[in-house]
Amino acid sequence: MKQRLYIELENCIGCRSCLAACTQCGGHEERNRNYVYDVNPFVNRQTMPLMCLHCVNPACARSCPAQAIQIHETGAVLSALVEKCIGCQNCTIACPYGIPKFDTEQNLMYKCDLCIDRTKDGIPPMCASVCPTNTLQWLTEEEIEMKQKQFNLDNGKWTASMKLEGETNVRVNLPGILQGVTKLF
Amino acid sequence: MNHQTVIPGKKEQTINQAFASNFAKSMFLAILGLFILTFIGTRMFTHIDLNLYGYMVGTIVFIGGFFYRFIAWGERPPTKILIKKGMKLLFKKSTPATTVNHLVTYKFIWNRGIYRWLQHVLMGGGTILSCFVTFPLVFGWMYFTMDDNGMYNIIMIGVNVLTVPADGIIANLSYNALNITATMVILGVCMALYRRLKNNQARAEQKFMYDFLPLYLLLFVSITGLVLTFMNVVLHGFGHSVMSLIHQYSVIITLIYLPFGKLAHIPFRPLSIFAKNYREHYSQQSMKECKVCGESFVSVEQSNDVIDVLSINQIDFKQDEGFHLAELCLPCRRKYRIAQFSGAPTHQLKVKEANQNAKG
Ligand code: HEM
Repeated sequence: MKQRLYIELENCIGCRSCLAACTQCGGHEERNRNYVYDVNPFVNRQTMPLMCLHCVNPACARSCPAQAIQIHETGAVLSALVEKCIGCQNCTIACPYGIPKFDTEQNLMYKCDLCIDRTKDGIPPMCASVCPTNTLQWLTEEEIEMKQKQFNLDNGKWTASMKLEGETNVRVNLPGILQGVTKLF
Repeated sequence: MNHQTVIPGKKEQTINQAFASNFAKSMFLAILGLFILTFIGTRMFTHIDLNLYGYMVGTIVFIGGFFYRFIAWGERPPTKILIKKGMKLLFKKSTPATTVNHLVTYKFIWNRGIYRWLQHVLMGGGTILSCFVTFPLVFGWMYFTMDDNGMYNIIMIGVNVLTVPADGIIANLSYNALNITATMVILGVCMALYRRLKNNQARAEQKFMYDFLPLYLLLFVSITGLVLTFMNVVLHGFGHSVMSLIHQYSVIITLIYLPFGKLAHIPFRPLSIFAKNYREHYSQQSMKECKVCGESFVSVEQSNDVIDVLSINQIDFKQDEGFHLAELCLPCRRKYRIAQFSGAPTHQLKVKEANQNAKG
């Protein structure tokens, strides 16, 4: 049963639980790999998370001269292999969303790996496990379809994917904004 | 009308045309080189140790696999660019310092953890030292002779470089060189295996063929090597010939595996020096300014190279605003995405990223 990370962007309250949880993932060595932004800080309090969307054809891996970025059989795009990454940082320039982080001291790139130690066994990633407002969810294809029906979006604007740079494994959605209803959390 | 006559240039004759492929050329040159060195080293093939013949065949098969893998890898667009530009910058002033840092002291592995550094120094150091001893022996570049007077000669490429007392420290170190290096490798591999059992990241990603097999192979080589010494010293040579074959087999399998699995990083890793030179050199030339905030974040060269590599892969991140995403600094690129999601001009606002490190 394939599950995906599903993001309902506008539910975010900026609590940064996802960042804290990220640091606690088994393989993350206490460094988080996700981001939370104030959308329009002079106007309102809306925040949104940003994390690796796990592209189907990842630009980071395509630009890597060392073939250090592997794609897991679940579709997750992993952190650089520690013995292969030569520290050129092409991946950080190539990523359309600015996700990979680079540690100069260790000469090593690291990024969201969708908590592969968990998700490979069907356990939700840390960020989705702790998100208190259901901004980040771990859903099956059927559940995602249900969401689509629930929000009744037949205006072709179901996911925000038309704003993405190619197909991704993570599904991004903005039901409130796309429907023109305000959601308050 | 403007007629231009194109004089068909005489097709350049180069040595490359003599070979069917790059692979054939590299293979030919490598084996020729080995042959010549061996010819000289063994004084026209008079000092070959035929016990080591299997290693010779193993090495040649290894060289075939190595070139195959390296050439295929070098054809990938980003690799090709790095190799080409790295070669040009090879004689940069900082190259020796970078080389020592990346290939000798491994400062960057130290920064990942002292345990990981120690395990790698033991494994890598042990293996490299072993190679320095065994390859010259196999190809006859180095051999030893003993004089009647109890003196021991170390002969390299046919020249007697050192004569020492046969029971002295140096002679003993040279008899035991491979026992010492084998012990280093065994310790290092045990540390690596232990880490692979305990570390969560390692446990999540590791695969038998990729992560464990190389460790087991190194262990197999080192243990069979030590058993050989044990059989000589304690069992007075009992079982030596069988174990010698097993050991030989283990080395040959490791050599053949080397270009295709994790151990491929040994020949490929030196490219990290190219990467460092590339970033240093082109950063000094001219820096790319972010199309949104104007801050320099990478060299113009690298930004352009990445855009080129992506377009070869049919990936184009050109935006309606006229810039390519590789022309935005990382924070602006992230905020630009948020702006695409929400419609608010997040990336245009002069506000610093707030609390992105989950601290407090
Ligand atoms: C050219 C010089 C070399 C460089 C720059 C290099 C670099 C590296 C790096 C960066 C790692 C990852 C270490 C970590 O983050 O824990 C690694 C792992 C490893 N290296 Fe090397 N290496 C070199 C030579 C060697 C040699 C000669 C061997 C001989 C056997 C070797 C065997 C290994 C093994 C087995 C691992 C994996 C350890 C594990 O299981 O985690 N390396 N190497």
